[in-house]
Amino acid sequence: MVGIVSYGTYIPRYRIRISDIARAWKKDEAEVSRSLGLTDKSVPGFDEDAATIAIEAALRALQSAQSKPTDIDVLFVGSESHPYAVNPTSTIVGELINVGHAYLAVDMEFACKAGTAAMQTIAGLVAAGHARLGLAIGTDTAQGRPHDFLEYTAAAGGAAFILGKDNLVAKLLADTSFSSDTPDFWRRDGMRYPSHAGRFTGEPAYYNHVIGAARQLFEMTQTTPDDYDYCIFHMPNGKFPREVAKRLGFGSAQLASSLIVDHIGNPYSASSMMGLAAVLDVAKPKQKIFMVSYGSGAGSDAFVFETTEQLTTYNKQRKAKKMMVMDQIANKTYIDYIQFLKQTHKL
Amino acid sequence: MKIYVTGAATTKFGELWGVSPRTLAHQAVGSALKDANTEASRVQALFVGNMLSGMLGGQEHLGAFFAEELGLSVPAFKVEGACASGGLALHNAVNSLVSGQYDTVVVLGIEKMTDHKPEDVATALMGAGSEEERSAGATFPGLYAILARVHMKEFGTTEEELAAVAMKNHYHASLNPNAQFRNALTVEQVMKSSRIADPLKLLDCSPISDGAAAVVLSTIRTKRSIKIAASVVATDTLGLAQRKSLTELAATRTSARRAYGKASVTAKDIDVAEVHDCFTIAEVLAMEDLGFFPKGQAARAISKGQTTVGKAKDIVVNPSGGLKGCGHPVGATGVKQAVELVEQLRGTAGKRQVQGAKVGLAHNVGGSGATAVIHIFKSPK
Amino acid sequence: MNSPVKIWRNQKNIAGLVGKFGTILSWTIVRVPPGDFTDQAPYPVVVVELTGGGRITCQLVDYDEKHLVFGQNVVTIIRRVTHPDPDGVIPYGIKAKPV
Repeated sequence: MVGIVSYGTYIPRYRIRISDIARAWKKDEAEVSRSLGLTDKSVPGFDEDAATIAIEAALRALQSAQSKPTDIDVLFVGSESHPYAVNPTSTIVGELINVGHAYLAVDMEFACKAGTAAMQTIAGLVAAGHARLGLAIGTDTAQGRPHDFLEYTAAAGGAAFILGKDNLVAKLLADTSFSSDTPDFWRRDGMRYPSHAGRFTGEPAYYNHVIGAARQLFEMTQTTPDDYDYCIFHMPNGKFPREVAKRLGFGSAQLASSLIVDHIGNPYSASSMMGLAAVLDVAKPKQKIFMVSYGSGAGSDAFVFETTEQLTTYNKQRKAKKMMVMDQIANKTYIDYIQFLKQTHKL
Repeated sequence: MKIYVTGAATTKFGELWGVSPRTLAHQAVGSALKDANTEASRVQALFVGNMLSGMLGGQEHLGAFFAEELGLSVPAFKVEGACASGGLALHNAVNSLVSGQYDTVVVLGIEKMTDHKPEDVATALMGAGSEEERSAGATFPGLYAILARVHMKEFGTTEEELAAVAMKNHYHASLNPNAQFRNALTVEQVMKSSRIADPLKLLDCSPISDGAAAVVLSTIRTKRSIKIAASVVATDTLGLAQRKSLTELAATRTSARRAYGKASVTAKDIDVAEVHDCFTIAEVLAMEDLGFFPKGQAARAISKGQTTVGKAKDIVVNPSGGLKGCGHPVGATGVKQAVELVEQLRGTAGKRQVQGAKVGLAHNVGGSGATAVIHIFKSPK
Repeated sequence: MNSPVKIWRNQKNIAGLVGKFGTILSWTIVRVPPGDFTDQAPYPVVVVELTGGGRITCQLVDYDEKHLVFGQNVVTIIRRVTHPDPDGVIPYGIKAKPV
């Protein structure tokens, strides 16, 4: 059985208040916060990028695991802000975390679900016996065009999951994917900022695919929301995951632990993966987790995990070292809009 | 074999927009040969001290370049050691005479820095440090600032005391017609100047300058020649992180000790010194590393005027104005120091004359202390 | 442009230096930066004494004023070092942050 051996996350320490962005553009601060359902978002340091953030998350995943970096057979990095248009992020990460040379390195790209696509693919390789240990990383330093509504939510962060067959903290019971050609959010080659189709990103995009994948997974596993202790959905803002959870029949108690968006905004490829990490941080053994990601363009990857007895000791050591997602959320310092523009290289 | 400086001259130092390196070379070498009463045809080799001609001007091969320009069809060499390029050129010239290879050579120290943007000059100067320091964005002032901070913590040296070094050197420079700066400076002005690399401020730092200096060296004594009693070089690690101590420049200590030995003098015998004050803290370190003051006490002594022309009892330091007051065209400095000491020992230094000077010491440093060159000069009596 | 070959040759040094603990021996704040660092200034440069032995010089990031003291504990991390040319290879290297 394939599952999660270890995980690590990283959030840059900088935050900007949504209200400070709103004020810069002379918008109603309270109205913006309310309509988006969040108050802060994370901002990368001027010298951070998707590669450095991926390295931080991966090193933490390795730190908590009993395996050596050279045990990694496959390394996938999923992002929509890869540092290069042509040149793999996965080998930069692999080299600097010392995995050696005997590994398959792949870069993935599918808007916000590049990381979960990596998880699903690696799970398949491990299940087939084609790899013993795989590292799936979702990482982004997402950028929004100044004055566009995405400027309020596009954030930065990374989540790394080591998948294997032994010493699991959570088993992967089932997974599926729902894909279609839906142009809700895109970026043409050479353009600095992405574009989107406004309200089209809602029902026909996010909701259609998340619900589509969720229903597929309920069908596959013959389960209903009541069978699960936790649920996680991709979090483009504070409203969408809450709304989709309600529509699918999940309660707010099931969703609560996953809502990193409330504190750091949307770290794109790391969003649902970091939500998963936050849930695992507080979960007990033998609990069931339902997770659906979303990537514009569009598609959703859905997973069912079940935690194991090993999770208890695993979490204890992460907690002792202050490596939990909530610890990283709390490690923050606020910057103003001008500093935000400097750090994101717009000034 | 005795080595003498038979002729010495510098150009004006400063922002010499209209003056080309070729013109600077003619001025310096022409005047030095005239001072030596020597025909150009007697010159057997040319040593050129320079750091930035390649990185900034795209011109290497300076030995050949200036040999041609000066009409000297002789063996010619560019010598480079960051800010110690001039002193190293002098040292190599001395060695060539000691070897018996030549009996009369010219040393030209020259630098043209104001043709380029300050950021480009700052980047080029970082070539004096280590790769690690360049990757860290550690500018040249930044490296000395790191040293200053440790010195301030260990010995209580204050920013005001460092400012007093700049004040003294500007006073000396005001007495030097060739100096870049002729204005007096107060401690207050230094303290108020903008921060470059904390705790060093703009007026703690030597300027970007153009200029050239030349000396004629010979094995044949003349009426006005000054003897070179020692020429010593020492090297230390390129980067600060690899040094044994951050409160001294070991290369200065080592080269000074050996130079004193060779010249049969001690620190107390030095009447006048030209030291490498690329930053105010550098002069403080030099005072201690050269043995002029006990460790931790130099800054106080300088601020009390104990090394100022007209006030000092034991030793005057940087009567030319030093790098801060006279200017610091990098490759020229080491040779300018020699010129100044020759004038001091001849008694021709005018308003900045150190009365009765008999023994002079020149201290030229490359980078943050990776190279140190000491020359000791003695008057003929 | 940074030499891709030099960057490549230097990787082994970088991989071996990440995650090391140390203390600050001295520091400065560079306010007048060289060309490659113009958009970063002001920034602190520190000399760090590594716990395992040896010293390094690097930039300090993710810090507050209170961290610029002698003996401050730091850990080494990987960040972009110099600002890359728009069409150049990106240099990654070692920096330090307070712990």
